[in-house]
Amino acid sequence: MSSKPSGLLSATFAEPAYDHLVELVHQRDAAAHRRLASLRMTAHDADGREVLALDVDPAREIFDLGAALSERPEERLMVLFDARYDEHVFPYRPHQYAYLHPRGATDAPLYYAVNATLGGVPDRIGATNINNVETYVFRPRAFAERYSVMLGNVSRFAAAQAQLIAYYGTERVGHQIELPPKAHVEAMVAADLEGIRLSRVETKAPFRLATYVVGRRAESGHLVLFDHLFTYVK
Amino acid sequence: MLARALLGVRRERTYYLPWITRRGVDCTLLLSNVEARFKEGFTRGPFLATVTQYNARGKTVGRYEVSLHDPTDTVEVSLGDTPGHGFATVASERINSDLYVTLSDGTSYTATHGRHEFVEHYPPWTAALLATSTALLALVGRTLPAFARDQYVYVGPDSRSHVLLMNLSNVTNRIRVVLTAADGAARRALLRVPPRGAHLLDVGRLTDPASVTTACRLRLEGNAWFNLYLVGAGAHDLDGPLSLMHVK
Repeated sequence: MSSKPSGLLSATFAEPAYDHLVELVHQRDAAAHRRLASLRMTAHDADGREVLALDVDPAREIFDLGAALSERPEERLMVLFDARYDEHVFPYRPHQYAYLHPRGATDAPLYYAVNATLGGVPDRIGATNINNVETYVFRPRAFAERYSVMLGNVSRFAAAQAQLIAYYGTERVGHQIELPPKAHVEAMVAADLEGIRLSRVETKAPFRLATYVVGRRAESGHLVLFDHLFTYVK
Repeated sequence: MLARALLGVRRERTYYLPWITRRGVDCTLLLSNVEARFKEGFTRGPFLATVTQYNARGKTVGRYEVSLHDPTDTVEVSLGDTPGHGFATVASERINSDLYVTLSDGTSYTATHGRHEFVEHYPPWTAALLATSTALLALVGRTLPAFARDQYVYVGPDSRSHVLLMNLSNVTNRIRVVLTAADGAARRALLRVPPRGAHLLDVGRLTDPASVTTACRLRLEGNAWFNLYLVGAGAHDLDGPLSLMHVK
């Protein structure tokens, strides 16, 4: 192994009562798997306080996040995966995807790409574009859903001022969001504005935040959308 | 690359999305060009696109002409709710944005995006060579492993992830499946997917019921280019709400 391993910080959000399994390696690649040098998981409450920290066995392929957080009382935690690996041999990046399902619900499970927020191997993870100005489009007809964007500041020392803009036809509604280090928020976005349906959202931040667009069934609150946004600059 | 050149294989850049429909689950594509809104030459519409829908047998079952007025415009293309699955391609010279595929039970919808990759075209003599060699290998449960994918799939008491395999080539694709459960038990299958066809791999048929949600390892080998999406199913399996989930 190189004496200078690469680092990658990935971030997701976790809520109680979900099956939530995070893949610690990208797909199954035995050669790459052996090269994951270390992995530390931390969980942070909405104010940024670290409430749980675990050194995860880097030989594991799947991390059961739902089980690890099963005793936590918080409604939502931001979970960071801080990985080290040798850039010369790792073919892609660790903990690429996760599986998410509300336990006991008839809803479909979601499978999503965990936000890669810092580090990685730029020419391999495709993160050479600007990734702190993003957008997401919604279907034009109304559904019995609630929408929001989860934003988390993964930095150690720098606070972030983020903008969340929701578009309704030609109208736009802006939200200013202050996030101290490791703090996070679920910013609600109205599904319509005076009868005009939400068409898209946009996030702008001074640096890469953990960002997920969220849709929930209005009745149960279960997640039906939990996805990354898309960069404007491709 | 050298092998492709020797075999005369041509790769055509293609944007594609998976589709799956069931009674009560409608599949709708959501097209826009919003990601190109600040890109020079892409700020003014109209943006024209042709959507071609292929079913599991590789037959064209739908063709839709779409026009977006400007980069922030969105257009829906409904693929209906007649049970089926496959993939759809989107041809456009001026759309440079990810496009979404959504599944809805009428109350809510799930969504994922498509892929800008390629479809492979094999000349007749290469196709004949492949057909002969893979037919022989199929006799012993094997295929020509020109492409391989590894993927985790999940099985639990009230949810699971099936796999929608898409044959992104103009030749029959024999895809060998090996699913290894958490206890190490392996199940094997050999699929025959028609040109531009698709196959919905029911993971539940390859695994035993699980009391907790667990990950299984899936190894796929095919004689031609293919890709996959996961199909998420809840307690009612393929008769309930579904999600499609992209994989790199």
